[in-house]
Amino acid sequence: MISVRNLCKDFGAHKVLRGINYEIGQGEKIVIIGPSGSGKSTFLRCLNLLETPTSGQIFFEGTEITGKGVDINKIRQQMGMVFQHFNLFPHLSIMDNLILAPVELKLMTKEEAKEEALRLLDIVGLREKADSYPGQLSGGQKQRIAIVRSLALKPKMMLFDEPTSALDPEMVGEVLEVMKNLAEDGMTMAVVTHEMGFAKEVGTKVLFMDEGVILEEGTPEEIFGDPKQDRTKEFLSKVLI
Amino acid sequence: MTEWWNDLVAKFVLDFVEKERWRYITNGVVVTLQVTAASLLMGLVIGILVAIVRTSHDQIGKKNLHGFSGFLIRVLNAICSIYLTVIRGTPMMVQLMIMYFVILASSTNKFLVAFLSFGINSGAYIAEIMRSGIMSIDKGQMEAGRSLGLGYAKTMQKIIMPQAIKNVLPALVNEMITLLKETSICGTIGLNELTRGGDIIRGVTYDAMLPLLVVAAIYLAIVMFFTWIMGLLERRLRESDIR
Repeated sequence: MISVRNLCKDFGAHKVLRGINYEIGQGEKIVIIGPSGSGKSTFLRCLNLLETPTSGQIFFEGTEITGKGVDINKIRQQMGMVFQHFNLFPHLSIMDNLILAPVELKLMTKEEAKEEALRLLDIVGLREKADSYPGQLSGGQKQRIAIVRSLALKPKMMLFDEPTSALDPEMVGEVLEVMKNLAEDGMTMAVVTHEMGFAKEVGTKVLFMDEGVILEEGTPEEIFGDPKQDRTKEFLSKVLI
Repeated sequence: MTEWWNDLVAKFVLDFVEKERWRYITNGVVVTLQVTAASLLMGLVIGILVAIVRTSHDQIGKKNLHGFSGFLIRVLNAICSIYLTVIRGTPMMVQLMIMYFVILASSTNKFLVAFLSFGINSGAYIAEIMRSGIMSIDKGQMEAGRSLGLGYAKTMQKIIMPQAIKNVLPALVNEMITLLKETSICGTIGLNELTRGGDIIRGVTYDAMLPLLVVAAIYLAIVMFFTWIMGLLERRLRESDIR
Protein backbone atom coordinates (compact mmCIF):
# COMPACT_ATOMS: atom_id res chain seq x y z
CA MET A 1 0.00 0.00 0.00
CA ILE A 2 2.83 2.35 0.91
CA SER A 3 6.34 1.90 -0.25
CA VAL A 4 9.17 4.07 1.01
CA ARG A 5 12.50 4.20 -0.79
CA ASN A 6 15.65 5.71 0.63
CA LEU A 7 13.78 8.44 2.48
CA CYS A 8 15.96 11.20 3.94
CA LYS A 9 14.98 14.30 5.83
CA ASP A 10 17.28 17.08 7.05
CA PHE A 11 16.38 19.97 9.29
CA GLY A 12 19.22 22.29 8.38
CA ALA A 13 22.45 20.46 9.20
CA HIS A 14 20.60 17.96 11.37
CA LYS A 15 19.90 14.68 9.58
CA VAL A 16 16.70 13.32 11.11
CA LEU A 17 16.02 10.52 8.64
CA ARG A 18 18.98 8.83 7.01
CA GLY A 19 17.68 6.46 4.40
CA ILE A 20 14.48 4.64 5.27
CA ASN A 21 13.28 1.76 3.13
CA TYR A 22 10.02 0.10 3.99
CA GLU A 23 6.85 -1.41 2.57
CA ILE A 24 3.53 -1.36 4.35
CA GLY A 25 1.04 -3.86 3.00
CA GLN A 26 -2.75 -3.73 2.95
CA GLY A 27 -4.20 -4.41 6.40
CA GLU A 28 -0.88 -4.33 8.21
CA LYS A 29 -0.55 -2.61 11.58
CA ILE A 30 2.92 -1.16 11.84
CA VAL A 31 4.05 0.03 15.24
CA ILE A 32 7.07 2.30 15.32
CA ILE A 33 9.02 2.52 18.56
CA GLY A 34 12.29 4.09 19.54
CA PRO A 35 13.90 6.74 21.72
CA SER A 36 12.90 10.38 21.33
CA GLY A 37 14.76 12.12 18.55
CA SER A 38 15.08 8.89 16.60
CA GLY A 39 12.93 10.23 13.75
CA LYS A 40 9.75 8.19 14.37
CA SER A 41 7.36 11.10 14.15
CA THR A 42 9.20 12.68 11.24
CA PHE A 43 8.99 9.38 9.36
CA LEU A 44 5.26 9.19 9.97
CA ARG A 45 4.74 12.83 8.99
CA CYS A 46 6.65 12.26 5.75
CA LEU A 47 4.16 9.57 4.75
CA ASN A 48 1.44 12.17 4.14
CA LEU A 49 3.95 14.90 3.31
CA LEU A 50 3.30 17.05 6.35
CA GLU A 51 7.09 17.07 6.22
CA THR A 52 8.63 17.39 2.79
CA PRO A 53 11.33 14.74 2.38
CA THR A 54 14.79 16.02 1.50
CA SER A 55 15.31 13.06 -0.80
CA GLY A 56 13.86 9.64 -1.51
CA GLN A 57 10.55 8.42 -2.83
CA ILE A 58 7.21 7.47 -1.31
CA PHE A 59 4.61 5.51 -3.27
CA PHE A 60 0.99 5.25 -2.19
CA GLU A 61 -0.92 2.58 -4.08
CA GLY A 62 1.51 2.83 -6.95
CA THR A 63 1.47 6.64 -7.21
CA GLU A 64 4.67 8.43 -6.38
CA ILE A 65 3.43 11.10 -3.98
CA THR A 66 6.87 12.69 -3.78
CA GLY A 67 6.76 13.25 -7.56
CA LYS A 68 5.78 16.41 -9.38
CA GLY A 69 2.19 17.30 -10.15
CA VAL A 70 0.64 15.03 -7.53
CA ASP A 71 -2.53 16.35 -5.88
CA ILE A 72 -1.44 15.74 -2.32
CA ASN A 73 -4.83 16.81 -0.98
CA LYS A 74 -6.45 13.88 -2.78
CA ILE A 75 -3.87 11.49 -1.29
CA ARG A 76 -4.30 12.89 2.21
CA GLN A 77 -8.05 12.24 2.09
CA GLN A 78 -7.18 8.56 1.91
CA MET A 79 -4.66 8.74 4.75
CA GLY A 80 -6.16 9.80 8.05
CA MET A 81 -3.86 11.26 10.66
CA VAL A 82 -4.22 11.47 14.43
CA PHE A 83 -1.96 13.82 16.37
CA GLN A 84 -0.50 13.77 19.84
CA HIS A 85 -2.29 17.01 20.73
CA PHE A 86 -5.61 16.08 19.06
CA ASN A 87 -5.74 19.32 17.05
CA LEU A 88 -9.51 19.49 17.07
CA PHE A 89 -10.86 22.80 15.75
CA PRO A 90 -11.77 24.66 18.95
CA HIS A 91 -14.10 27.16 17.27
CA LEU A 92 -16.34 24.43 15.85
CA SER A 93 -18.74 22.07 17.60
CA ILE A 94 -17.89 18.37 17.57
CA MET A 95 -20.42 17.81 14.79
CA ASP A 96 -18.87 20.59 12.70
CA ASN A 97 -15.40 19.19 13.35
CA LEU A 98 -16.57 15.90 11.88
CA ILE A 99 -18.42 17.19 8.83
CA LEU A 100 -16.09 20.05 7.84
CA ALA A 101 -13.77 18.08 5.60
CA PRO A 102 -16.33 15.76 3.91
CA VAL A 103 -18.61 18.70 3.13
CA GLU A 104 -15.89 21.15 2.06
CA LEU A 105 -14.32 18.51 -0.15
CA LYS A 106 -17.76 17.84 -1.65
CA LEU A 107 -17.56 14.14 -0.85
CA MET A 108 -20.94 14.21 0.88
CA THR A 109 -23.88 16.53 1.28
CA LYS A 110 -24.29 18.11 4.68
CA GLU A 111 -27.11 15.70 5.56
CA GLU A 112 -25.13 12.63 4.55
CA ALA A 113 -22.11 13.87 6.46
CA LYS A 114 -24.18 14.46 9.59
CA GLU A 115 -25.67 11.00 9.39
CA GLU A 116 -22.23 9.48 8.96
CA ALA A 117 -20.90 11.61 11.84
CA LEU A 118 -23.60 10.38 14.18
CA ARG A 119 -22.85 6.79 13.20
CA LEU A 120 -19.16 7.37 13.96
CA LEU A 121 -19.95 9.12 17.25
CA ASP A 122 -22.02 6.08 18.24
CA ILE A 123 -19.05 3.82 17.62
CA VAL A 124 -16.90 5.78 20.07
CA GLY A 125 -19.82 6.33 22.43
CA LEU A 126 -19.84 10.10 22.18
CA ARG A 127 -23.10 10.78 20.38
CA GLU A 128 -24.35 13.05 23.13
CA LYS A 129 -21.31 15.31 22.64
CA ALA A 130 -22.27 16.25 19.07
CA ASP A 131 -23.19 19.79 20.02
CA SER A 132 -20.41 20.32 22.55
CA TYR A 133 -17.21 22.20 21.81
CA PRO A 134 -13.76 20.61 22.05
CA GLY A 135 -12.96 22.71 25.12
CA GLN A 136 -15.68 20.91 27.05
CA LEU A 137 -14.24 17.44 26.45
CA SER A 138 -11.63 15.43 28.33
CA GLY A 139 -8.37 14.50 26.62
CA GLY A 140 -9.51 10.96 25.95
CA GLN A 141 -12.78 12.15 24.46
CA LYS A 142 -10.95 14.67 22.28
CA GLN A 143 -8.66 12.00 20.90
CA ARG A 144 -11.57 9.67 20.17
CA ILE A 145 -13.23 12.53 18.30
CA ALA A 146 -9.99 13.22 16.43
CA ILE A 147 -9.89 9.59 15.32
CA VAL A 148 -13.45 9.59 13.99
CA ARG A 149 -12.87 12.98 12.35
CA SER A 150 -10.30 11.26 10.18
CA LEU A 151 -12.55 8.24 9.67
CA ALA A 152 -15.30 10.50 8.33
CA LEU A 153 -13.34 10.65 5.06
CA LYS A 154 -13.32 6.84 4.86
CA PRO A 155 -9.53 6.64 4.56
CA LYS A 156 -7.69 3.57 3.37
CA MET A 157 -5.01 4.01 5.97
CA MET A 158 -4.53 5.71 9.32
CA LEU A 159 -1.41 7.33 10.76
CA PHE A 160 -1.17 7.77 14.52
CA ASP A 161 1.49 10.10 15.92
CA GLU A 162 1.83 9.29 19.63
CA PRO A 163 -1.95 9.34 20.09
CA THR A 164 -1.86 8.63 23.82
CA SER A 165 1.24 10.56 24.90
CA ALA A 166 -0.64 13.71 25.92
CA LEU A 167 -3.34 11.87 27.86
CA ASP A 168 -3.85 11.30 31.56
CA PRO A 169 -2.99 7.65 32.28
CA GLU A 170 -6.59 6.73 33.04
CA MET A 171 -7.70 7.93 29.60
CA VAL A 172 -5.16 5.98 27.60
CA GLY A 173 -7.29 2.83 27.67
CA GLU A 174 -10.38 4.29 26.01
CA VAL A 175 -8.32 5.61 23.08
CA LEU A 176 -6.39 2.36 22.63
CA GLU A 177 -9.71 0.52 22.68
CA VAL A 178 -10.95 2.54 19.70
CA MET A 179 -7.68 1.87 17.88
CA LYS A 180 -7.89 -1.86 18.58
CA ASN A 181 -11.41 -1.99 17.18
CA LEU A 182 -10.22 -0.14 14.13
CA ALA A 183 -7.40 -2.64 13.72
CA GLU A 184 -9.82 -5.55 14.01
CA ASP A 185 -11.92 -4.03 11.25
CA GLY A 186 -8.93 -4.43 8.98
CA MET A 187 -7.68 -0.84 8.77
CA THR A 188 -4.11 -0.40 7.61
CA MET A 189 -2.34 1.48 10.40
CA ALA A 190 1.01 3.04 11.17
CA VAL A 191 1.36 3.96 14.82
CA VAL A 192 4.15 5.79 16.61
CA THR A 193 3.70 5.00 20.27
CA HIS A 194 5.29 4.31 23.61
CA GLU A 195 2.50 1.86 24.51
CA MET A 196 4.40 -1.41 24.28
CA GLY A 197 1.32 -3.37 25.35
CA PHE A 198 -0.55 -2.05 22.35
CA ALA A 199 2.42 -2.80 20.09
CA LYS A 200 2.46 -6.40 21.26
CA GLU A 201 -1.25 -6.94 21.05
CA VAL A 202 -2.15 -5.15 17.83
CA GLY A 203 1.02 -4.75 15.80
CA THR A 204 1.69 -7.06 12.90
CA LYS A 205 5.17 -5.58 12.62
CA VAL A 206 7.24 -3.56 15.03
CA LEU A 207 9.92 -1.17 13.78
CA PHE A 208 12.64 -0.02 16.14
CA MET A 209 14.08 3.28 14.98
CA ASP A 210 17.24 4.95 16.18
CA GLU A 211 19.18 7.92 14.82
CA GLY A 212 17.15 8.18 11.66
CA VAL A 213 17.23 4.58 10.49
CA ILE A 214 15.12 1.49 11.03
CA LEU A 215 17.54 -0.43 13.18
CA GLU A 216 15.45 -3.53 13.59
CA GLU A 217 12.12 -4.82 12.41
CA GLY A 218 10.10 -7.91 13.06
CA THR A 219 6.95 -9.33 14.55
CA PRO A 220 6.17 -8.19 18.10
CA GLU A 221 7.35 -11.62 19.35
CA GLU A 222 10.71 -11.20 17.64
CA ILE A 223 11.29 -7.61 18.76
CA PHE A 224 10.09 -7.95 22.32
CA GLY A 225 11.06 -11.56 22.87
CA ASP A 226 14.37 -11.79 21.13
CA PRO A 227 15.79 -8.45 19.99
CA LYS A 228 18.92 -8.78 17.87
CA GLN A 229 20.48 -5.35 18.25
CA ASP A 230 22.12 -4.18 21.46
CA ARG A 231 20.50 -0.76 21.04
CA THR A 232 17.04 -2.37 20.89
CA LYS A 233 17.76 -4.45 23.98
CA GLU A 234 18.97 -1.36 25.83
CA PHE A 235 15.86 0.63 24.84
CA LEU A 236 13.44 -2.14 25.75
CA SER A 237 15.13 -2.69 29.11
CA LYS A 238 14.42 0.94 29.97
CA VAL A 239 10.75 1.04 29.06
CA LEU A 240 7.99 -0.58 30.99
CA ILE A 241 6.31 -3.39 29.16
CA MET B 1 -26.14 82.48 37.54
CA THR B 2 -29.22 83.17 35.46
CA GLU B 3 -27.25 85.57 33.34
CA TRP B 4 -24.64 82.86 32.62
CA TRP B 5 -27.40 80.38 31.85
CA ASN B 6 -29.26 82.76 29.56
CA ASP B 7 -25.99 83.49 27.81
CA LEU B 8 -25.42 79.76 27.24
CA VAL B 9 -28.92 79.21 25.91
CA ALA B 10 -28.53 82.16 23.58
CA LYS B 11 -25.26 80.76 22.27
CA PHE B 12 -26.83 77.35 21.84
CA VAL B 13 -29.67 78.81 19.80
CA LEU B 14 -27.20 80.83 17.75
CA ASP B 15 -24.89 77.85 17.18
CA PHE B 16 -27.37 75.11 16.41
CA VAL B 17 -30.95 76.31 16.01
CA GLU B 18 -30.69 79.47 13.93
CA LYS B 19 -30.66 78.82 10.20
CA GLU B 20 -30.77 75.10 11.00
CA ARG B 21 -27.05 75.06 11.75
CA TRP B 22 -27.46 71.72 13.53
CA ARG B 23 -27.48 70.26 10.05
CA TYR B 24 -23.71 70.80 9.84
CA ILE B 25 -23.37 68.44 12.78
CA THR B 26 -25.83 65.75 11.68
CA ASN B 27 -24.60 65.75 8.10
CA GLY B 28 -21.07 65.63 9.45
CA VAL B 29 -21.82 62.58 11.61
CA VAL B 30 -23.20 60.75 8.59
CA VAL B 31 -20.13 61.54 6.49
CA THR B 32 -17.77 60.58 9.31
CA LEU B 33 -19.52 57.23 9.78
CA GLN B 34 -19.57 56.59 6.04
CA VAL B 35 -15.87 57.28 5.64
CA THR B 36 -15.08 55.14 8.69
CA ALA B 37 -17.21 52.20 7.58
CA ALA B 38 -16.00 52.22 3.98
CA SER B 39 -12.35 52.58 4.99
CA LEU B 40 -12.64 49.87 7.61
CA LEU B 41 -14.06 47.47 5.06
CA MET B 42 -11.31 48.25 2.60
CA GLY B 43 -8.73 48.07 5.38
CA LEU B 44 -9.99 44.62 6.40
CA VAL B 45 -9.77 43.28 2.85
CA ILE B 46 -6.28 44.68 2.31
CA GLY B 47 -5.19 43.70 5.81
CA ILE B 48 -6.29 40.08 5.56
CA LEU B 49 -4.72 39.64 2.11
CA VAL B 50 -1.42 41.22 3.15
CA ALA B 51 -1.34 39.22 6.39
CA ILE B 52 -1.91 35.96 4.49
CA VAL B 53 0.82 36.77 1.97
CA ARG B 54 3.28 37.63 4.74
CA THR B 55 2.53 34.61 6.93
CA SER B 56 2.51 32.12 4.08
CA HIS B 57 5.83 33.53 2.87
CA ASP B 58 7.28 33.07 6.35
CA GLN B 59 5.71 29.64 6.91
CA ILE B 60 6.78 28.11 3.63
CA GLY B 61 10.39 29.05 4.37
CA LYS B 62 13.16 30.25 2.08
CA LYS B 63 14.38 26.87 0.87
CA ASN B 64 10.98 25.76 -0.37
CA LEU B 65 10.32 28.89 -2.39
CA HIS B 66 11.13 27.66 -5.86
CA GLY B 67 9.31 27.55 -9.15
CA PHE B 68 6.76 30.07 -10.34
CA SER B 69 4.60 30.04 -7.20
CA GLY B 70 7.69 30.59 -5.07
CA PHE B 71 8.69 33.53 -7.27
CA LEU B 72 5.16 34.93 -7.09
CA ILE B 73 4.95 34.75 -3.31
CA ARG B 74 8.37 36.44 -3.02
CA VAL B 75 7.31 39.30 -5.25
CA LEU B 76 4.01 39.70 -3.37
CA ASN B 77 5.82 39.61 -0.05
CA ALA B 78 8.23 42.31 -1.22
CA ILE B 79 5.34 44.52 -2.37
CA CYS B 80 3.57 44.02 0.96
CA SER B 81 6.73 44.89 2.91
CA ILE B 82 7.19 48.13 0.98
CA TYR B 83 3.51 48.98 1.45
CA LEU B 84 3.70 48.44 5.22
CA THR B 85 6.93 50.42 5.55
CA VAL B 86 5.73 53.41 3.56
CA ILE B 87 2.23 53.62 5.02
CA ARG B 88 3.29 53.14 8.63
CA GLY B 89 6.28 55.43 8.20
CA THR B 90 4.46 58.53 6.97
CA PRO B 91 1.81 60.66 8.68
CA MET B 92 -1.85 60.08 7.82
CA MET B 93 -2.35 63.76 7.11
CA VAL B 94 0.45 63.75 4.52
CA GLN B 95 -0.94 60.60 2.88
CA LEU B 96 -4.37 62.22 2.67
CA MET B 97 -2.97 65.36 1.07
CA ILE B 98 -0.82 63.39 -1.38
CA MET B 99 -3.93 61.47 -2.41
CA TYR B 100 -5.94 64.69 -2.80
CA PHE B 101 -3.42 67.06 -4.36
CA VAL B 102 -1.24 64.60 -6.31
CA ILE B 103 -2.63 61.15 -7.05
CA LEU B 104 -6.30 62.06 -7.43
CA ALA B 105 -5.76 65.75 -8.18
CA SER B 106 -8.14 65.46 -11.10
CA SER B 107 -10.96 64.12 -8.96
CA THR B 108 -13.39 66.37 -7.15
CA ASN B 109 -14.91 63.50 -5.20
CA LYS B 110 -13.59 64.24 -1.71
CA PHE B 111 -15.35 61.27 -0.20
CA LEU B 112 -13.54 58.94 -2.60
CA VAL B 113 -10.20 60.53 -1.73
CA ALA B 114 -10.83 60.19 2.01
CA PHE B 115 -12.12 56.64 1.73
CA LEU B 116 -9.15 55.48 -0.37
CA SER B 117 -6.56 57.18 1.83
CA PHE B 118 -7.98 55.87 5.07
CA GLY B 119 -8.65 52.42 3.65
CA ILE B 120 -5.07 52.08 2.43
CA ASN B 121 -3.72 53.47 5.69
CA SER B 122 -5.89 51.28 7.87
CA GLY B 123 -5.04 48.21 5.79
CA ALA B 124 -1.41 48.46 6.86
CA TYR B 125 -2.27 48.44 10.55
CA ILE B 126 -4.94 45.75 10.20
CA ALA B 127 -2.42 43.61 8.27
CA GLU B 128 -0.09 43.58 11.24
CA ILE B 129 -2.98 42.90 13.63
CA MET B 130 -4.17 39.99 11.47
CA ARG B 131 -0.64 38.65 11.14
CA SER B 132 -0.26 38.48 14.89
CA GLY B 133 -3.65 36.76 15.01
CA ILE B 134 -2.67 34.15 12.44
CA MET B 135 0.64 33.52 14.19
CA SER B 136 -1.16 33.03 17.50
CA ILE B 137 -2.90 29.91 16.15
CA ASP B 138 -1.12 26.66 16.95
CA LYS B 139 0.52 25.16 13.86
CA GLY B 140 -1.24 21.89 14.66
CA GLN B 141 -4.45 23.50 13.38
CA MET B 142 -2.97 23.99 9.93
CA GLU B 143 -1.54 20.46 9.99
CA ALA B 144 -4.88 18.99 11.03
CA GLY B 145 -6.67 20.84 8.24
CA ARG B 146 -4.11 19.81 5.66
CA SER B 147 -4.04 16.20 6.85
CA LEU B 148 -7.79 16.03 6.19
CA GLY B 149 -7.10 16.85 2.56
CA LEU B 150 -8.17 20.50 2.73
CA GLY B 151 -6.03 22.87 0.68
CA TYR B 152 -4.01 25.74 2.13
CA ALA B 153 -6.60 28.38 1.19
CA LYS B 154 -9.54 26.34 2.52
CA THR B 155 -7.75 25.64 5.78
CA MET B 156 -6.95 29.33 6.14
CA GLN B 157 -10.54 30.30 5.43
CA LYS B 158 -12.36 27.72 7.54
CA ILE B 159 -9.95 26.97 10.37
CA ILE B 160 -7.23 29.56 10.84
CA MET B 161 -8.94 32.87 10.06
CA PRO B 162 -12.07 32.39 12.22
CA GLN B 163 -9.87 31.69 15.22
CA ALA B 164 -7.38 34.44 14.37
CA ILE B 165 -10.07 37.09 13.99
CA LYS B 166 -11.60 36.09 17.30
CA ASN B 167 -8.23 36.46 18.99
CA VAL B 168 -7.56 39.91 17.55
CA LEU B 169 -11.07 41.31 17.88
CA PRO B 170 -10.13 43.72 20.70
CA ALA B 171 -7.21 45.03 18.63
CA LEU B 172 -9.50 45.42 15.61
CA VAL B 173 -12.01 47.43 17.64
CA ASN B 174 -9.12 49.60 18.76
CA GLU B 175 -8.15 50.16 15.14
CA MET B 176 -11.73 51.05 14.27
CA ILE B 177 -11.88 53.61 17.08
CA THR B 178 -8.58 55.13 15.97
CA LEU B 179 -9.85 55.26 12.41
CA LEU B 180 -13.09 56.97 13.41
CA LYS B 181 -11.25 59.67 15.30
CA GLU B 182 -8.58 60.09 12.66
CA THR B 183 -11.16 60.90 9.98
CA SER B 184 -11.41 64.26 11.75
CA ILE B 185 -8.48 65.45 9.60
CA CYS B 186 -10.59 65.11 6.47
CA GLY B 187 -11.43 68.77 6.96
CA THR B 188 -8.03 69.61 5.47
CA ILE B 189 -9.24 68.46 2.07
CA GLY B 190 -12.57 70.17 2.58
CA LEU B 191 -14.71 67.13 3.25
CA ASN B 192 -17.63 68.16 5.44
CA GLU B 193 -17.34 65.58 8.18
CA LEU B 194 -18.18 66.03 11.84
CA THR B 195 -15.17 68.07 12.97
CA ARG B 196 -15.42 70.38 9.99
CA GLY B 197 -19.14 70.79 10.68
CA GLY B 198 -18.25 72.17 14.11
CA ASP B 199 -15.57 74.36 12.54
CA ILE B 200 -18.00 75.87 10.06
CA ILE B 201 -20.40 76.79 12.87
CA ARG B 202 -17.52 78.36 14.81
CA GLY B 203 -16.53 80.35 11.74
CA VAL B 204 -20.03 81.76 11.40
CA THR B 205 -20.98 82.38 15.02
CA TYR B 206 -17.52 83.08 16.51
CA ASP B 207 -18.41 80.74 19.38
CA ALA B 208 -15.80 78.00 19.83
CA MET B 209 -16.87 76.27 23.02
CA LEU B 210 -20.27 74.77 22.29
CA PRO B 211 -19.61 73.44 18.76
CA LEU B 212 -16.35 71.83 19.87
CA LEU B 213 -17.87 70.30 23.00
CA VAL B 214 -20.79 68.91 21.03
CA VAL B 215 -18.44 67.47 18.40
CA ALA B 216 -16.30 65.87 21.12
CA ALA B 217 -19.37 64.44 22.86
CA ILE B 218 -20.61 62.89 19.63
CA TYR B 219 -17.24 61.19 18.94
CA LEU B 220 -17.24 59.90 22.50
CA ALA B 221 -20.79 58.58 22.22
CA ILE B 222 -20.02 56.74 18.97
CA VAL B 223 -16.87 55.19 20.42
CA MET B 224 -18.74 54.04 23.53
CA PHE B 225 -21.47 52.56 21.36
CA PHE B 226 -18.93 50.60 19.27
CA THR B 227 -17.20 49.35 22.41
CA TRP B 228 -20.52 48.12 23.76
CA ILE B 229 -21.49 46.36 20.52
CA MET B 230 -18.11 44.67 20.35
CA GLY B 231 -18.51 43.52 23.94
CA LEU B 232 -21.69 41.71 22.93
CA LEU B 233 -20.04 40.25 19.85
CA GLU B 234 -17.02 39.06 21.78
CA ARG B 235 -19.21 37.30 24.30
CA ARG B 236 -21.02 35.53 21.48
CA LEU B 237 -17.79 34.47 19.82
CA ARG B 238 -16.54 33.13 23.12
CA GLU B 239 -19.33 30.54 23.06
CA SER B 240 -16.87 27.85 22.05
CA ASP B 241 -14.58 28.66 24.98
CA ILE B 242 -16.95 27.28 27.59
CA ARG B 243 -15.29 24.61 29.62
